[in-house]
Amino acid sequence: MNNLRENLKEQIIEQLNLEDIKPEDITNEGDLFGDNGLGLDSIDALEFIVLLESKYNIKISDPQEGKKIFKSIDTLASYIEKNK
Amino acid sequence: MNIFITYGGLISPLGNNVNDNFKNMLEGKSGISVTKNTGFNNEDLPLGKINNIKGENRFDKLLSKLCDKLVLDFNKSIFKDKKTLFIVSSTKGNLDDLPNDTFSSTRRILKEKLNVKNEIIIISNACISGVIAVNTAADYIKYNKYNNVVVIGIDALSNFITYGFQSLFALSNEASKPFDKERKGISIGEAAGCLILSKKELNNIFSVIYVGGSSSNDANHISGPSRTGEGLYRSINKTFNRANINEKEIDFISAHGTGTIYNDEMESIAFNRLKISNIPMHSLKGYFGHTLGAAGVIELITCIKMMEKQTLLKSLGFEEQGTSMKLNITKKNYKSRLSKILKTASGFGGGNASLILKLKE
Amino acid sequence: MKLIASCKINKTGVYLNSQLISRNDLSESNWITELYYDSNKEYPKFHKMDNLAKLAFLGFLFLEKKININNYKDDEISLIFSNASSSKTNDLKYINTYTNKGNPSPSLFVYTLPNILTGELAILNKWYGENIFFIQQKFDPKFYIEQIKFYFSKGAKAILAGWVESNDKNEECFLFFIEKKEGKLTIEKLNKLYQNE
Repeated sequence: MNNLRENLKEQIIEQLNLEDIKPEDITNEGDLFGDNGLGLDSIDALEFIVLLESKYNIKISDPQEGKKIFKSIDTLASYIEKNK
Repeated sequence: MNIFITYGGLISPLGNNVNDNFKNMLEGKSGISVTKNTGFNNEDLPLGKINNIKGENRFDKLLSKLCDKLVLDFNKSIFKDKKTLFIVSSTKGNLDDLPNDTFSSTRRILKEKLNVKNEIIIISNACISGVIAVNTAADYIKYNKYNNVVVIGIDALSNFITYGFQSLFALSNEASKPFDKERKGISIGEAAGCLILSKKELNNIFSVIYVGGSSSNDANHISGPSRTGEGLYRSINKTFNRANINEKEIDFISAHGTGTIYNDEMESIAFNRLKISNIPMHSLKGYFGHTLGAAGVIELITCIKMMEKQTLLKSLGFEEQGTSMKLNITKKNYKSRLSKILKTASGFGGGNASLILKLKE
Repeated sequence: MKLIASCKINKTGVYLNSQLISRNDLSESNWITELYYDSNKEYPKFHKMDNLAKLAFLGFLFLEKKININNYKDDEISLIFSNASSSKTNDLKYINTYTNKGNPSPSLFVYTLPNILTGELAILNKWYGENIFFIQQKFDPKFYIEQIKFYFSKGAKAILAGWVESNDKNEECFLFFIEKKEGKLTIEKLNKLYQNE
């Protein structure tokens, strides 16, 4: 299960070109978006949707839905576990 | 010194010339229709598609078609005149030419079809390209470099653009409804239009006067509209100053109005800050869809036609107020004195632009 | 119009006012990213940019040392840019995402316009001035001088002009900063600076 979280961190770094960030810099609970988090923005949220579809075969059709799902690594991982 | 501006041609889903387009718009017809299997996942999408252009190189075919019309409608000597400059406004050119340059065919077609002698200037500045192409054309006339400047605005439909806007979740699943409460996004369209700016009025064709224009960046985000409308606010203010016109003199606003939640909201905020939100205004994206690099040009063509007929066109698709700031969006066509029109545009890269046209005294 | 400074970046190195100030390590395939790390500037968004925006961003970081942008209000500097290949390099990358890799990438799509680089410079500096992007067959000093005159007469106090090109054979960035002061900017001078002479 923790593997999923670690994989997600690596996939996010690759998908979003976060070259200055290492997987260990991303906590499971911390905010991904906003100034307190990784500083991700609305376009990054759309890349998360691409990532979910290409790597996990999960389709999100409303970007608004993504806001809660992409809050942190934990929320993202539990969403994937539920919808796989 | 006056700078005259007139329409040269317009090819869109609503017709192959300016008059047919305007007639169809007066009748409330939209060029947007559901097009089968055009989405990335083969969705049926509403698009402003010109149906009689088929196969590859749509862009080149559309440009050639416009040039053929121009040759029929104008004396060819104006195009090959050394004192005539050509400016093309387009976001992408012919994408089918990739990996080669996508604007080589533009230069080739204009030279072949219209005998253009001078270097052709291409402006590619996202969705404000059309408006700043006209501002640039006016610079060349004002500073005495050319007697005539032909401005062509053109972009063609492509999977590239459609899939891209789909990936941004910016496409509407019905014909776009700018400024409306139920608006859901953009409908992508294609068109080619031509404006001619000149030092002396051209014979036998209606023209108006270009008074002034400007651009301003949002300095905010490369694709998201500013929450405060700062760039649009500043551009319109600058244009008022340059044109030496105040907001009370403006009879009508031809807004950008893409039909996305955030863009239209941004415009309502900027117009409200400028205290011009009570002036009648429309967006033409409900007729043509968003035609990107062609948009500013074909919307200005429509403005000039409205001034000629002294008739306001309604904002097609608008029913109910849908922005936080109240705007005076036109719901029906009507006769009205139109002596000064403000045109605005906003786009990716944080660009905003505006200009003012006025009737001859 | 007075030319205050220029910066040229290409595969061989960085040139400020034609003087080589750093040679690129040619064994590094990602020399653009190396230049960013050498600059010690922290700007995480850099990695999301396409090569055009990266080159313009880096060019500005070097040029900034030779100019005083604080002399100007936030809307007094106009940006006049051009290139030959539009956003071709990134366009091909974006096409690859939907033809080979699966879904069209939104973050690559937003860079499929050349004028995004002027947007990035405006965001970096909080500049609200005028911007324009032209597609030209080659670097054309005469054209820039003409445009600069237009923008000065429209009210700009200074101009950041640039040629930023990225294609399969060549990646280069040439930026120059001009103030509305006594001085003569010639075609020959601009050509020489562009060619690092």
